[in-house]
Amino acid sequence: MSLNLLLFYLLAFTAVGSALLIVSMKNLVRSLFLFFVTLFAVAGLYVFALADFVAVTQVIVYVGGVLVLMLFAFMLSNKVLLSDLQSGVKGVFGMPSWQAGIIAISFFTMLLSVVWQVAINEPQWITEAKQQQLLIRYQDNTIHHLGINLMTRYVLPFEVVSVFLMMALMGAAHLARKENQEP
Amino acid sequence: MSFYVIYVLVAVLLFAFLAGFTLFAVYAERKVAGFVQDRLGPMETGKFGSLQTIADILKLLQKEFISPANADKILFAAAPVVVFVAVYLGFAAMPWAPDVAPAALNLGLFYVIAIISVEAVGVLMAGWGSNNKFALLGSLRSVAQIISYEIPAGLALIAAVMITQTLDMQELTVNQGILTNERLLFLGFWDVSEIGGFFAWNIFQAPHLILAYVIYFIASLAECNRAPFDIPEAESELVSGYHTEYGGLRFAFFFLAEYCLMFLVSMIGVVLFLGGWNSPLPNIGAWKLATWTTGMAWGIFWVLAKTLLIVGIQILIRWTLPRLRVDQLMSLSWKVLTPLAFLCMVISGIWRIMVMVG
Repeated sequence: MSLNLLLFYLLAFTAVGSALLIVSMKNLVRSLFLFFVTLFAVAGLYVFALADFVAVTQVIVYVGGVLVLMLFAFMLSNKVLLSDLQSGVKGVFGMPSWQAGIIAISFFTMLLSVVWQVAINEPQWITEAKQQQLLIRYQDNTIHHLGINLMTRYVLPFEVVSVFLMMALMGAAHLARKENQEP
Repeated sequence: MSFYVIYVLVAVLLFAFLAGFTLFAVYAERKVAGFVQDRLGPMETGKFGSLQTIADILKLLQKEFISPANADKILFAAAPVVVFVAVYLGFAAMPWAPDVAPAALNLGLFYVIAIISVEAVGVLMAGWGSNNKFALLGSLRSVAQIISYEIPAGLALIAAVMITQTLDMQELTVNQGILTNERLLFLGFWDVSEIGGFFAWNIFQAPHLILAYVIYFIASLAECNRAPFDIPEAESELVSGYHTEYGGLRFAFFFLAEYCLMFLVSMIGVVLFLGGWNSPLPNIGAWKLATWTTGMAWGIFWVLAKTLLIVGIQILIRWTLPRLRVDQLMSLSWKVLTPLAFLCMVISGIWRIMVMVG
């Protein structure tokens, strides 16, 4: 087994194992911090998919932003709410359990069907691209492709996302502003 | 196999350098503090107290690991490691001399910024894990501050990246000196590709980057939690913030991380704005000063000299300026630095299109 493969399995195992631990753990703060490990392992897997930009973005957005936000939300919320969350519904056939089961099974079938369609019966366009050497190699400078594509082919979605983010920012500023005190 | 040996060797060398730097910087900090406050600083151990920090680290190494009874043991033990490793990983992409960098990533700068932001998680871990009011308050303050100041710092860096058009730290440096293949213009009109020296540095290629550098420098002080932005550790209010409960080697790791982060953010500033390993001396006629002073040893010398100078300024600022209040800190970041950084970014775009291309 090559070192690359070993590293891949190590990362994959870390991602899956820590994710399982997160959902089964009783201590909410620890599971949030464990989420950090999962996100890092997934970022490592992105590097294996030659998406190094996505990997670094994952770290900066999820670890530096979303995770810290979640921790803040946790630390600022009151004890009653948290104990309610922590106790939850007991039993295998309690409400959340079977819903979660359905979601998990449907996702798994979706993944299996994708594997069936792409990996086993390879679509024609992928075979053609492989023959014409239209592949991304690990020495390629992927951010140049990304930048050019974002500014040409995907400029409309890009702008829509930026308007959406602007709306979120304005909403946040509005919520955080002090109300005028009515006498 | 020798491939991996070199990697390990580089990592060990880097760690040894950082540990040595921290010992030196702590001594320098105490001496500068002494100078500013008109006293002598450490004088007892060694000549002029020069062995003081070595004695300190020996003391810290021998101490027992103590965790508070109600602390979350795992988080408490993991926090110093996370904080230090986040900073240490940042050094992987830093260029030291022509063709000398631990890893030449084409995402270099983006990677460094991302990995530094991981530090915030470690700080929160320390604050929560200690199970102490002061520690938790300190860590919340620290993270709020780090996240706020990442925005002006990042925008100021983007302003420089827009001028150089690359995120690769090595390429960024090459394009600020005589080794470049591109046409470098001093202030947008004088071709200095052959002359080099400080004329070719980014801040002189596009003068608005001086403002961007000042913004970055202020924001980087806040990211290191250093005065005048040291409210996370404010001794008079919070004992010592998120590392209140730490002692011994674990405390030493927090200290190491703080000084390494100072070095790292200074080095990023030097690479992006002040020419990195390029010589400040220009070629003048027959005096090929820039050509003579560019090379591996010179590169390491210049980057160290520039970075240590910036670290020196950070230390001097800590002992001369009073601490900012929380609301002043936030309004400085959001109402002054962020708009100015956006302005720099806009000017960079215009400069790139109108002056450098047109």
